[in-house]
Amino acid sequence: MYVPPLSSLVIASAVGIASGSIGSFIILKRMALVGDALSHVALPGIALALAYAVDPFWGVLLFVLAAAAIVWWLEGRTTLPGDALVGLLFTTSLAVGVLTIPDQELIHSLFGEFPALSPLAFTITAGLALASAAMTLGLARQFVFRTTTPDLARVQGVGRWFDLFLLAIFALIVSLGIKLVGTLLMGALTIIPASIGKNLAKSMRAFLIISTLLGGIISVAGLFVAHMFTFLPGPSIILFGVALFLVSLVFPRSVRL
Amino acid sequence: MRRSSLLVLEPDTILNVRDCSVVLDGERLVSGVSFKVQKGDALAVIGPNGAGKTLLFKALLGLVPFSGRIVWRPGLRIGYVPQKFPVDRSAPLTVREFFLLKAKGFWFPDRAFVEHLSHELSLVGLAQDILDRPIGELSGGQLQRLLIGWAMVDHPEVMLFDEPTAGIDVGFEETVYHILQRLQKERSTTILLISHEINIVYRYADQVLCLNRKMLCHGKPHDVLRPEDLTRLFGEGSFFKHQDQAHRQ
Repeated sequence: MYVPPLSSLVIASAVGIASGSIGSFIILKRMALVGDALSHVALPGIALALAYAVDPFWGVLLFVLAAAAIVWWLEGRTTLPGDALVGLLFTTSLAVGVLTIPDQELIHSLFGEFPALSPLAFTITAGLALASAAMTLGLARQFVFRTTTPDLARVQGVGRWFDLFLLAIFALIVSLGIKLVGTLLMGALTIIPASIGKNLAKSMRAFLIISTLLGGIISVAGLFVAHMFTFLPGPSIILFGVALFLVSLVFPRSVRL
Repeated sequence: MRRSSLLVLEPDTILNVRDCSVVLDGERLVSGVSFKVQKGDALAVIGPNGAGKTLLFKALLGLVPFSGRIVWRPGLRIGYVPQKFPVDRSAPLTVREFFLLKAKGFWFPDRAFVEHLSHELSLVGLAQDILDRPIGELSGGQLQRLLIGWAMVDHPEVMLFDEPTAGIDVGFEETVYHILQRLQKERSTTILLISHEINIVYRYADQVLCLNRKMLCHGKPHDVLRPEDLTRLFGEGSFFKHQDQAHRQ
């Protein structure tokens, strides 16, 4: 039948919802490319985990969290050309990862696969993804404050630590999603629902809700496409999202939500 | 915000600044500023462009690193009206949501808070129907009014205004100074104000601080704004323009 395994659907919807919610803030912070590059850092993490026979999730989480902390640190130092350094650091990670990951694992690491998880890993992955989305939306006021007007936020007591926290949630979501979508495309899964959301919404609250829901819808629909045509799930999800994005471009301004 | 326990505040003092300096990229842009502000006072900071006035405000708010001591009375609510609208206007943020950044419930706001908004908006001359408009669609004058309304909405004990009338129409200029007076009289708000206009300083300030990277004078406007002080601060040409404005009042 053309229905993907239920466990894959649950993981896809949970990871998609989480990606959509955090992606809104990555877009607002104008960090889409930094976010994309950040997910590439996962690759050496996967290589290290495979070398020590540990679940790749932990390697990814460690590397992406460390990279998020570096991005945060660079953000506070305005005299450095932050984006150039970020680009350099992360493409280096990609090169190291490609050379160190065994060939048979490489394609899945880059582009994702239908995740075969143990019941425990399945519960943890889905639970953490949904908890990340809930936390992102729960802290929406602080995150919106920090991303749209950092100086006024600071005066009201919403300090830079929230930026680090936002990046840490982003790192966690990237780590959870990489198995499904792959390191090269995970950044895109956070950016696409939010980009569509921005085309459809005229208020912040609508933007956040639309992005979150679209993250889930795009992931699940992409999974159906992948299963139907025996494609890799990562590219199918991303291309389905891009198709929706193109439709959103012609969405009339007068009927925005 | 950095606070120091070494500097003890007297009962009515809400801000004590001692030898404050700001160095950015190795350049000393503000140095040796010391002053105190009492509750309910209005302090005007004057000086030419590039004198470090905005930077001094940013140091007071903890937005830039500084040396020396800046001690606020603990637990103060501070309202800040920057010179330029500091919100990313490409973000899909409505005016209502901009206010909700100050509310407890962003998703489910308190009804009393929302009802209070229309009152604060009317004080700055904005109609209630502006609440559902995205901030990106507002004009420069509307944004300036919005900023003042936003800073006042939670009734802060201290308000910092960085040239609140820069780039707005003359009619609203009067409204702004009317608001300043109301804040002082009705809410006993302490006001710190950056202004280019000497006449405004005479009319509204209890204290004036002249800044041109260094503190050049500090005291009551009539005591310290002598012609030679203004010449020293603004240079010969600017002095006559300002003095002329002051006399027309």
